[in-house]
Amino acid sequence: MSSARQSFFGKVALIAAAVMVLSPIGAWAQATADKTSSTAATTSAKADRWLHVRVISTDGKGETVRVNVPLELAEKVLPAVNHDRLHNGKVKIDCEHVNDVDLKALAEAIRSSKDGEYVTVQGSDNDVRVAKQGGYLLVHVLDHGYRGKHGMKDKDEAAEKSASGKNSEKNEVEIKVPMKVIDALFSAGKDELDLVAALHALSAAGDTELVSVKDRDNTVRVWLDSKNVTE
Amino acid sequence: MIFLAKAALALGGTVVMAGAYTFHEGVIRVDVDESRPGGSHVHFWAPAAVVPMAFRLVPKHHMQHVSEQARQFAPLARVFVKELKKFPDFELVDVQDASQHVQIRTHDGKLQIDVVDPGENVHLLVPLSMLDDITSQLEANLLGA
Repeated sequence: MSSARQSFFGKVALIAAAVMVLSPIGAWAQATADKTSSTAATTSAKADRWLHVRVISTDGKGETVRVNVPLELAEKVLPAVNHDRLHNGKVKIDCEHVNDVDLKALAEAIRSSKDGEYVTVQGSDNDVRVAKQGGYLLVHVLDHGYRGKHGMKDKDEAAEKSASGKNSEKNEVEIKVPMKVIDALFSAGKDELDLVAALHALSAAGDTELVSVKDRDNTVRVWLDSKNVTE
Repeated sequence: MIFLAKAALALGGTVVMAGAYTFHEGVIRVDVDESRPGGSHVHFWAPAAVVPMAFRLVPKHHMQHVSEQARQFAPLARVFVKELKKFPDFELVDVQDASQHVQIRTHDGKLQIDVVDPGENVHLLVPLSMLDDITSQLEANLLGA
């Protein structure tokens, strides 16, 4: 074998050996890079805000509905929906349907007011409380359910049944909305609600139970957190 | 002999490459089982890459018609699928009662729809990248029109 050919084979063998030695390092580097990007994805996933809806029916059929929606997804998808009053993430409101109440002015009045109870009604049928507290608008409605489908009931009897957990007809609604969300909702034109802006504001809010409805047959919960699964 | 070996190698390589390309987007799975007597049982399994390719082979006027039909929901579907791909596996909807169970979720880059009913069971598994391709094509056709 000539010395030139010997040198060539030597070089080839050297390159082959180098490739074999370095390839696991390359693979390890790629694996590390993948791991890093995967970690980044997990971190970013952790930062995602999720809106959860859970409806549990206790009427014997055992119906359960669970919906989990990433707020970012809702924010991107909503502007693509153009149907009826909903266009570009904004919904048109008809003043006639809100009894000529200027909702925007009302929201502005609430926003600029100090914390406190705005409405407190304690009736024989319902208790209603509307308050602003710690940057949230709170609405609490308690329907005592004395006048159920069985007609007028004795208040004491109903209270007794309710206390014992038998045949309770109490309906309870609790709504807790960050004021920033309400501001964002009314940030569009006079007769419009900006749903996308509201969702964006909602994504900045902490873990919150937004809506809770409990009645004899159903329990409804709408809440916000960073988990992509329902509890 | 060497020629045959080379030909076999080339053929084998082509098959492997074609297989790798065909399956790079995963597979579509459709399982339908009707539990009534004489009910149908459909078990369909196909490479996902075939569907967008098939869409490209559809005559333009038919594609235009389909795009027109999908005009209202195509942009919405496009955005929805594109955004779905960004999130980790999650359960979008779960509805359950005493006899029925419907689940819509994402799993390993696929949209999974499961319906379990006393009358029939339906399981559908569709890669999101394939749905992305289809919705993109529909939208492109609409823009082209």
